[in-house]
Amino acid sequence: MTTLTRRQFLRAIALLATGAGASGCADMRSRALGRIAGSPTLPDAPMQANTQLFRALSRMTFGPRADEIACAQSTGLAGWIEEQLAPSTIDDLGVSIRLSGFDTLAMSAGDIIDWSSQLFDDIDKDAPVTELRSATLLRQIYSRRQLYEVMVDFWSDHFNIFAAKGQCWAFKTVDDREVIRPHALGRFGDLLRASARSPAMLEYLDNHSNHADRPNENYARELLELHTLGVNGGYTQSDVMELARGLTGWRWREDGFRHGEFAFDATVHDFGEKSILSARINASGENEVEGVLERLTTHPSTARHLALKLAQRFLGATPPVDIVTRAATAYANSHGAIQAMLRPILLDGLAHATPIFKRPAHFLGSALRALHADTDGGRPVLDALERMGQLPFAWPTPDGYPRHDAAWQNNLLPRWQFALALADNTLGNTRIDWPALERWLAAPSPASQFDALATLLLGAPLDAPVRDSLLHALGDSPSLQIQSAALIAAPQFQWQ
Amino acid sequence: MKLNTWLPRLAFAPPTSSAKRDVLVVVFLRGAADTLNMIVPHGEDAYYAARPVLAIARPDDTAARAQDRAIDLDGFFGAHPAMRALLPAWQSRQLAIVQACGAPDESRSHFRAMELMERGVQDEHGPATGWIGRHLAATPPGARSAMRAVALGERAPRSLAGSIPVTALRSIADAHLGAQGGVATEHLRRALDTMYQRGDALARSGRQTLDLMRALDRIDPAAPPAHNARYPDSEFGHACRQTALLINAQIGLEVAAIDLGGWDTHIAQGGAQGPLALLLRDLAEGVAALHVDLRDRMNAVSIVCMSEFGRRVAENGGLGTDHGHGGAMLLIGGNVRGGRVHGDWPGLQREQLIGPGDLAATTDYRDILGELLMRRLGHPSVEAIFPDHIVKPRGLFV
Repeated sequence: MTTLTRRQFLRAIALLATGAGASGCADMRSRALGRIAGSPTLPDAPMQANTQLFRALSRMTFGPRADEIACAQSTGLAGWIEEQLAPSTIDDLGVSIRLSGFDTLAMSAGDIIDWSSQLFDDIDKDAPVTELRSATLLRQIYSRRQLYEVMVDFWSDHFNIFAAKGQCWAFKTVDDREVIRPHALGRFGDLLRASARSPAMLEYLDNHSNHADRPNENYARELLELHTLGVNGGYTQSDVMELARGLTGWRWREDGFRHGEFAFDATVHDFGEKSILSARINASGENEVEGVLERLTTHPSTARHLALKLAQRFLGATPPVDIVTRAATAYANSHGAIQAMLRPILLDGLAHATPIFKRPAHFLGSALRALHADTDGGRPVLDALERMGQLPFAWPTPDGYPRHDAAWQNNLLPRWQFALALADNTLGNTRIDWPALERWLAAPSPASQFDALATLLLGAPLDAPVRDSLLHALGDSPSLQIQSAALIAAPQFQWQ
Repeated sequence: MKLNTWLPRLAFAPPTSSAKRDVLVVVFLRGAADTLNMIVPHGEDAYYAARPVLAIARPDDTAARAQDRAIDLDGFFGAHPAMRALLPAWQSRQLAIVQACGAPDESRSHFRAMELMERGVQDEHGPATGWIGRHLAATPPGARSAMRAVALGERAPRSLAGSIPVTALRSIADAHLGAQGGVATEHLRRALDTMYQRGDALARSGRQTLDLMRALDRIDPAAPPAHNARYPDSEFGHACRQTALLINAQIGLEVAAIDLGGWDTHIAQGGAQGPLALLLRDLAEGVAALHVDLRDRMNAVSIVCMSEFGRRVAENGGLGTDHGHGGAMLLIGGNVRGGRVHGDWPGLQREQLIGPGDLAATTDYRDILGELLMRRLGHPSVEAIFPDHIVKPRGLFV
């Protein structure tokens, strides 16, 4: 236990040293100076209401911050999108520093297992997953590569891993680092091939125990149904069973050295002839499925399936048909480039976006981001997210956390509880510098302060009659905290 | 938490009369439950041939330990030994089993099967709402109810989707905003009353949540269950207990939906012991405790346990089972024709199986739910609820 305490101590030191999160266009020096001055890093000019820009940015971030809006206003939305589509060009030192205390993020699966058993008498399966969950939250909240993090979130659902299944508690960290994050804005084919060999996926969907003598079709089915072609994409039960035979022997190593790395085990591979999607597969061992993965990548059903799913993510449940078609065409013409698929959706589609109910991570992130909260993403925040229904990597079934609005609308109470706890500064390890925020808002009256706060959280003030009745309900001269709680709990804040 | 400052201002309508319609509790076993090992066809040699390792021993198989044998139900079917907690319900004829039931969909996809089944439709083209949502929409509420439908957990399942608001709730004890009596809490609650007024689905959900917080304030979540009912110490047991508290509180609840996941047992599911046995025990003990706790109301309660499809008859190489077709449903209540295994058993011989080796479904699940809706939930006909299926009642309810 002493090791853990020391680790936590070092992490606390690192956080103290770096202060509040990185922000948009501001450089490190001004952020550091802002920190010394005790104020959150907000742009100098007060925020102007710009509902359209705010809504567009809401789709491509975990909630827009004042500095990001200022940045997008100066470069133009298209310029902002292109910058975000090239995440490696965006400095993200702030989030790197925040993550520097997370020991397991860079570890192999074997090292994670060793690390867990060193820290505790027995293997603690929660510790590495908790680090990954906190890291995921910190990236969503503090990374300047917001569109990239949105896509990481998207693919984490598309290639869902349930951390509580088998050894996934140790494997998901590797999957996040080596499968999802390297390819989130790359080529879908690379992502698919990496996922197919990911020990986390092999474990989660049982391909690890898919043997020649009696195959297990779990992964093969979801590979066709969820990852590529879609349920009506034109495959049959026979394709599922034949593909499962082709995938026999794709496993992870169980020996101590290089434990949990991908390995092909020829001794359990089915070397018989197979026919998948009306094509004969020559028995060649490990690589016989490579051709199938390539065909799945370039299949028109995959292009349609991915284009629709992505368009729904950014534009709402029923995106314009022509935008979906253009995204599918862009995918086909670019050999599966995810950026190419995103351009028509973001550059031309966002103008036609319909409201999307915020999922819990977006709800929580957008509140913390807008108010420049300082959090370590630790247990109290994860617990709040769990009560809202979206603890990362805890969705058991391979379809990932749902995206349709109705899935989330009946669980408002944990969101209200979060709003109140955040305002009260009773949400553990998380605080907002209220006096500094109040100075920044610099409002002469409660009504104008409320308008400025609403602009920060919602992109525009509420209509005056709504505002006045709300201020009345909140008491005579409500504090900034209780105003924030009300706005975060408001119906308007639940939508992006 | 019993004395909220706003409580005296409440004026609640008297509880709805429950004489006419049962309260419906639907337990959905997500992931396709292996009902062949839940309700074991021990009279079928083919069952033992297909599952040399996983099969549950015959009730009279002296080669197996007594606690590992199936519990005989009718000479042909037996219950998995982990289902023992439900024996009293079976013996009092308040538990009926329907074997070899299912949906026409043969995609063997969890997500497609669950969606179609929860919507209660033949294919994608049917109504987008859920079958329970349509039931609620077609049923006039007896009086103002704080909560007509609840989903125990963080999300409402698709079956409840529709025009009637549904509350997702994990625990009655947590159903308050923050520190009780705090000024900020009270102000925020007033603000929420102001903000959640418009008529859209979210506003309805918000008002529902506000009403519910008031109603739940009158329930003591720590009160001991009735008749010494013993709930399992699990998430499912907790959900069952919350359900009993809500039904006993008579706040107008008509439907409770509980999800129990983990049934996608592709590998190492175990036989009489093991992961599937633990799941079955959790299910049986939770439902049995609910049955005991609600004993005085069982004439007005119907509990249904269902899953999206069954699993393949033959075990696979990983000593699990793959996606199959026909399954089984459990019906518990004071008005079921219990103590019987219903349904036409199609057999497990090779030529009797369908697709890649699956149990055929001889009873459409909508025949079972349709009869329930007609007999116990006050619907003269169910064409609007199951629009593309003509319900054939199977004599499952008194």
